[in-house]
Amino acid sequence: MRSSIAAGGLFAAGSLMPVSSAQANQAGGQSTTQGVHETENRVPATIAGDKVVQPRRELPVLQKTSILVVGGGPAGTAAAFCAKRMGVDVTLVERYGYLGGLATGGLVLGIFPLYDRDKKQVIFGVGEELMKKLDVLKYGIIDRNKAPIYPTIDAEAFKYVLADMVLDSGITTYLDCWGVDAIVDGKGAVRGAVFESKSGRQAILADIVIDCSGDGDIYAAAGAAFEKVKTNIGLISRIGNIDEVDMAIGRGSEDPEHPATGKPSEGRPSKGRVNDFNGHAGNSTPAPHMNWLNMRGPVGDALDITDLTSMELKHRRGTWGNVEKLRQKPGNEQVFLAETAPQLGVRLSRLLDGVKKLTAQEIRSGAKFKDVIGYSGAYANAPEFQIPYGSLVPAKVENVLAAGRCISAEFEVADITRLIPVCWVTGQAAGLAAALCIQDKCKPRNVSVTKLQNLLKEQGAYLG
Amino acid sequence: MMFLRRVPRRLIQLTCFVGAVVLIWPVLPWSIAPRLLQQLSPFVVLSSSIAARSIGVGTILALIVAVVSSFKKRWFCLYLCPTGFLLENTNHAGLRRTSWWSKCPPIGKYVATLTLAGAVFGYPVLLWMDPLCIFSSPFAVNKATNPVSVFLVSLGLGVLVGATFVFGMLWCVRICPLSGLQDMLFSMRKALWTRIAASALARALAVRFLGGRSFSSDVRLVRITGALAPEVRAAASASKFNVARRVFFAGAGGALLAVWARRAGAARYRKSDTLLRPPGAVPEDRFGGLCIRCNNCVHACPTKIIHPDTGHEAGLAGFGAPVIKFDRDYKYCLETCNACTQVCPTGALTALALEQKNKYIIGEALVDNNVCLTALGKKECDACEVACPYDAVKITWDEEQYNAYPVVNDKCIGCGACEVVCPTTPVKAIRVWTLKPS
Repeated sequence: MRSSIAAGGLFAAGSLMPVSSAQANQAGGQSTTQGVHETENRVPATIAGDKVVQPRRELPVLQKTSILVVGGGPAGTAAAFCAKRMGVDVTLVERYGYLGGLATGGLVLGIFPLYDRDKKQVIFGVGEELMKKLDVLKYGIIDRNKAPIYPTIDAEAFKYVLADMVLDSGITTYLDCWGVDAIVDGKGAVRGAVFESKSGRQAILADIVIDCSGDGDIYAAAGAAFEKVKTNIGLISRIGNIDEVDMAIGRGSEDPEHPATGKPSEGRPSKGRVNDFNGHAGNSTPAPHMNWLNMRGPVGDALDITDLTSMELKHRRGTWGNVEKLRQKPGNEQVFLAETAPQLGVRLSRLLDGVKKLTAQEIRSGAKFKDVIGYSGAYANAPEFQIPYGSLVPAKVENVLAAGRCISAEFEVADITRLIPVCWVTGQAAGLAAALCIQDKCKPRNVSVTKLQNLLKEQGAYLG
Repeated sequence: MMFLRRVPRRLIQLTCFVGAVVLIWPVLPWSIAPRLLQQLSPFVVLSSSIAARSIGVGTILALIVAVVSSFKKRWFCLYLCPTGFLLENTNHAGLRRTSWWSKCPPIGKYVATLTLAGAVFGYPVLLWMDPLCIFSSPFAVNKATNPVSVFLVSLGLGVLVGATFVFGMLWCVRICPLSGLQDMLFSMRKALWTRIAASALARALAVRFLGGRSFSSDVRLVRITGALAPEVRAAASASKFNVARRVFFAGAGGALLAVWARRAGAARYRKSDTLLRPPGAVPEDRFGGLCIRCNNCVHACPTKIIHPDTGHEAGLAGFGAPVIKFDRDYKYCLETCNACTQVCPTGALTALALEQKNKYIIGEALVDNNVCLTALGKKECDACEVACPYDAVKITWDEEQYNAYPVVNDKCIGCGACEVVCPTTPVKAIRVWTLKPS
């Protein structure tokens, strides 16, 4: 990244403020590189008959690393931090311009399945560390240790925490950099990944790749088998001035100690589809006068750009409309839409076919695994359950691990393992497993489970 | 001699008492066992059969009891009745200081008449006074989830034991409708018997002395038969008018009460939003009458969701009758269970096979979108959708509202699985409400 800035790549092809920067240059005399005429030194795609063809070309190798983490969301950052702590060379690549993925850019601010059915916290490890860093920040996190109420974080505070940790950790990080392909050797083992960014198409070579892309882009590209699922895609937003409404009256609350004080709104509700809706209200956030508002959204294909585009547009229009409706209710006149999330709320897309596919039956029956790497808390109707290491390892392809929402689990299970704190759990385990691969010079599927579990425990993870 | 005569009766009584407990306490692997006890009572079976306009196999037991009782006065009370056994012993231990009630009219007879007359109009008014129901009621105490339920299920037998302790055998002798019915059966049989015997004798005499001439026209023979049947004459002359009048008034009262109670029940149902009866319940206008408060269903329910009503849901007429309340953790009407429908002795809960029970509509689940976490955008909750055993709840995206709601479809039977898992407090966003015709 530093090299690209030095080469002038960042502003070379048309600065956002060419005039003002030129003026600043004249006035202050600061040295910026300008006016260097270049041509891109590459062959563009061509048309061969009725087909568009990308000519064969060599890709520049941006970096050689031991562990490459693709995706800087909750799972990716957890994996990178934990692997780096083991003294291994780690490279983290993120598609957006900030870290945290859906927890920050997706505005998924609720840290949901933290507790078991007895309201005991079962997710610790790196997730707990991150929340502790948020604890000390003003407006960083609320409702900590108030089971069964889940904590809510602030997106900007969390971006700050992650940026701070990455800058201090020595993890080589590339932002605005989209993992588009896997690099696979002759034996079918993954050796790195290909990225697109403003610097063009570049390769990063690695001994182990951890796919935290959410959509399983890298393992899919490497040829690992997966299950493709379609589910609801929403867009979360934050609305301001909402605390002028007394949220306790007549609204649902999950907190038996702070129950809603009023009666339900209309007595007997009407049957079927109803229009007696008093407007979205969402949940409070660390920021004052601000609620975050989830959206379920319609079912869509998270791997289809038409679907994604249509939802990005319709969701923003719909959210604006809903806030307008909310404003028409007495007492809500000053409510405003603070922001819609930069990222769509994609819940699930690809689910890995791993060494072990975690099934709904297993989580309901409280199955115990020898290779347990952590717990998910109880959520909706499911009790707390163990997550096995086998769910992170592809059934066939070597040198790649999955973490985050795209791990190997049945749909009902993945609908829980996709949630933020569970991504921390799988991310931490994948990071440590990858570090063990480097240290012990073994394949991810051959990692010593005992060593992995001991490391996890050393780092404060809860394994039951 | 007296001693020898009394000991076997005590033994029989004790055996029957233990037998009754075994039947009610489901020690037997037979799911319908508890209802067999109440079906021994001709009072229950006769009234409920008339009210329900149907006769079940269980009638046979009651028929046997009725026939035997009509020959041997209060045979059931003296030998079989577990309540009688209990009260008899209470009486021995009790104060027995007063017998003012011995001048009391035979209330039991009028209760029985009133109830039978009500049954003709579909509402056996005082059927809950049957002693066998009162006996089995307290056995539901182990399924009582709160002190009110404990009080309600033990109320009947408690009052009887208390009253017997203080006043002696007032209940058994004067008030019990089952003994009243037995008395009526006995005197009817006796009257019939005497009449048949007299007419047979008369016919024989007529053949002998009058050469086959019809006896009824012969004044002398009427006198002879009359002399042979003093009971008939006594019954016919002594208090003929009084008894007839009382029976008439009891019958008319029963009919009026039945009509009134059915109208009140129907009105109550129209008004109520939260009244839920166990599966198989007959329509609300007749339920309060057919239900005898035996609490067999309360006892049978494995998830303890059936409670005797305090009168809160269905008023005074529904006092003590079973209602469903989903007020315990994760307990709902299981899709694997039809126990309550199997144990009802009167058909207030129709006996339903499991598949039928799973189609019986207890109520309808309705969603308050101003409480629902998903509708409010608070949390990704689909607890109701996941919990529903009948695939009746779907979280549905509404493009117009630009929001998602749980939508309940026609498959819903109101089992309450969604209500008990709904995480909102204190008001559940999805609740089962009394079914209303749409």
